[in-house]
Amino acid sequence: MIQVIQILILGIALGGVYALMSSGMTLIFGVMRIVNLAHSAFIVLAAYLAFFVFKTFNIDPIVSMAFTMPVMFLVGVIYYRLLFASRADNPRFADITVLVTFATALVIEGILAFIFTGIYRSTTPTYAKTSINFGPFFIPQSQLYALIISIVLIVGLWMFMRYTRIGNAIRATMQNRNAAQVVGVNVTWISTLSFGIGLAMAGAAGSLLSFVFTFYPAKHIAWIGMIMCLVVLGGMGSLVGALVSSFLLATAAAYVNFYFGAAWSPITFYLSLFLILLFRPQGLFGKKVEG
Amino acid sequence: MGTLVVENVVAGYGSGPNILKGLSLTVESGKAYCIIGPNGAGKSTLIKVIAGLLKPREGKIFFKGEDITPLRADQVLQRGLCYVPSDRSLFPDMTVKENLRMGGFVMRDTRKVDERIDELFAQFPILKEKSSQMAKTLSGGQQQLAAIARAMVLKPEMIMLDEPSLGLSPKVVQQIFGTITTLRDQGLTILLVEQNARKGLQIADMGVVLDLGTNSFEAPACDVLNDPRIQELYLGKRHQAVAAEECK
Amino acid sequence: MAEELIQVDLKGKEGAIRVRSKVSLWLKRGIPLLILAILALLPVFQIVEGTLNYWIHMLMYVFLYVIMSSSWNIIGGFAGYVSLGHNVFFALGAYFAGMLFLATRISPFISAPVAGLLAMGFGLLFGLIALRTRGSTFIISTIALVLLMAELFDNWKLTGGTNGLALPLIDLPGQFAKIPYYYYLLVVMVLCVVASYFIKHSKFGLALRAISQDETKAEVAGIPTRKYKILAFGLSGLFIGVAGAVWGSYLTYLRPSIFLTVSLGTSIVLNTILGGKGTIAGPVVGTAIMIAVNEFVVAKLGATELNIVVTGLILIFVLLFFPEGIVGSLKARNKLPSFLDWD
Repeated sequence: MIQVIQILILGIALGGVYALMSSGMTLIFGVMRIVNLAHSAFIVLAAYLAFFVFKTFNIDPIVSMAFTMPVMFLVGVIYYRLLFASRADNPRFADITVLVTFATALVIEGILAFIFTGIYRSTTPTYAKTSINFGPFFIPQSQLYALIISIVLIVGLWMFMRYTRIGNAIRATMQNRNAAQVVGVNVTWISTLSFGIGLAMAGAAGSLLSFVFTFYPAKHIAWIGMIMCLVVLGGMGSLVGALVSSFLLATAAAYVNFYFGAAWSPITFYLSLFLILLFRPQGLFGKKVEG
Repeated sequence: MGTLVVENVVAGYGSGPNILKGLSLTVESGKAYCIIGPNGAGKSTLIKVIAGLLKPREGKIFFKGEDITPLRADQVLQRGLCYVPSDRSLFPDMTVKENLRMGGFVMRDTRKVDERIDELFAQFPILKEKSSQMAKTLSGGQQQLAAIARAMVLKPEMIMLDEPSLGLSPKVVQQIFGTITTLRDQGLTILLVEQNARKGLQIADMGVVLDLGTNSFEAPACDVLNDPRIQELYLGKRHQAVAAEECK
Repeated sequence: MAEELIQVDLKGKEGAIRVRSKVSLWLKRGIPLLILAILALLPVFQIVEGTLNYWIHMLMYVFLYVIMSSSWNIIGGFAGYVSLGHNVFFALGAYFAGMLFLATRISPFISAPVAGLLAMGFGLLFGLIALRTRGSTFIISTIALVLLMAELFDNWKLTGGTNGLALPLIDLPGQFAKIPYYYYLLVVMVLCVVASYFIKHSKFGLALRAISQDETKAEVAGIPTRKYKILAFGLSGLFIGVAGAVWGSYLTYLRPSIFLTVSLGTSIVLNTILGGKGTIAGPVVGTAIMIAVNEFVVAKLGATELNIVVTGLILIFVLLFFPEGIVGSLKARNKLPSFLDWD
């Protein structure tokens, strides 16, 4: 029984980071209908940024989020403006963007491999090695911090979307791009901003992952597989869906990992993706219409 | 000098052909105009161009003497020119009230927006009743009403309605046109695009017939309604059965 | 009077067009046939001179990728359903033939067509699930398929896990060892391209193209869209499965890290889009160019990391500025040389 609860704790701790990883991707899809297959590559990029800052200036990866998040925000704004802004009306936009973002992921992977080589990296702040014990249970300090920060950021994003003028405009654009234009929302501007916010979330996720996991340039492939499954399971473009599926799958994968072995835990994600496609292609919280 | 002047506008989508081919139109303040014409004549395109959602390839648009051709959609709204699209275009997962709030998006003063919403709720009690329901749960007629109210949040001087009767039952259409008549009587300038030409012309002061991207005919609505050519083409009447249409 | 003039003018033009079309027909058919003849004769020089091993190897790469791209084109180009997971068929073919050989000593040359059918069967099955979705979700499901298969094959004892399976070398002197594979792939490639031509111009192909234009309208027009999409997906696995069986035996080792990478699936798509998706010649042109570029990058810059950077950049550039690809863009501008107009 203790074991069962312990696994649940670890699963939930990881679920927070997964939710942060998938929230940015789902936001970008929701507003722009772009399946950003480079999302995890941007996360890896941010992890390397945190790693670089940690190695060179010895700045804690949590502290350096104040740097990685704005940098990734800017990267997002420039990337969207440069490649996508003028093409949003193209009827083949969805297909094109999937491939373009995937190609972007390859470019990022190649550049990172060229600069940092393929060696496994991680940042090693002091809390990366200790655990907190409470009664018979424990949680690695790094995962606890990652969970707390992820939740703070996600709640922050939710409040921003709910209670600010710009947040409302983002939600409006997600629900009906045409109508948003009609009431005077500048959707191009909102899209650019959303892409920036999405990548800022990726930046935060990268910083946190840099001390939770080891990473290498090609790591983005495994991560994008996972994030995609979370986003599809939750329903493309649904923030709540991404959140729920993150905690659900993280916990499920933790149990599978314990009972069947580590090799099977990624398979949990892919199998759940195909199961949801089989029984509810629009995802848990998605809408029937899908582009 | 009309309140809205469209001058030789040429427009189309993407790299496609011209849909409007040098269209000119003058809208007098405080009057209701009904634009009729066959499918593909460019009725909706004209409205989108005026609303600033589609940039014309040639030509100019003036509103109250100001050249609004280069303005963005939000700037056009701020000048007091609002638009209700044919698909209502509500935000499905927002409440009716939130939808109306979005109608006041270009106004910075949220208190004023809320005041306006209260006024509109007084005018449309059904919306007040449904104010905390998601827009997607409304009936077609209620959605149309909400879309009109959303445009009215900005207290516009002129409102453009694209096919307000689309997909509604005759009884509901009657109600919606009643609402439009009320707006007209309040002194709003109205530009109405309607497939249901008879209904549209009945409540309009002026009728405009669009054909193949140009303005082919413009006259008092009553004359348009009773013009035998129009009757045959758009009202589905044969020559011999001409009975005078009742109009305003 | 004016009408007469126009008619005379028309007649003149028609005549000119007729003469020109005869010449161009010669070029149109002649140049591809000439190239094919050279390709067919090349191994003879290898046997006599023995210096063409590198070229033979590179050409086999081209054949292999043309088979994959041309097949992908059936679902991705004609029907507009982009799959990033077509290398799964390749892996299935290779592993099936390899494992069959290890168990029964049946040559992959013989079992290859069966491997193709197996891959096709798998395609039909997968299509049944994944083709319930469209657009982005479909693309995602195909990537997930590759990742799932890679995980399975990495951990499956029967397939040798990450170490994979080793197959024996073909029993021929080194100078000739490549030649049977070369001809096998050449023949499969020609069959595949020809098949793609006939599919495109069949009623079935027309329906697929209608689906890619507007699926809802196609459905309203009475096309059984779901059935056709699944069939197209299955068919697109057939030749890839055959090629996989042959290629596995040629490589002599089967590993998930070779057959089941997302980048392999992507390069199939890249080659087709670069050449022009939905066209017959596109996959061939795109593949030839991409393999040349890759060789150049690896030879000049020496770094495989930069190789994927270049691949990525080319893909971005083509997608954003020439989504119709080389053949498609030239055709749209009426500048396509007739010998590349295979449609």
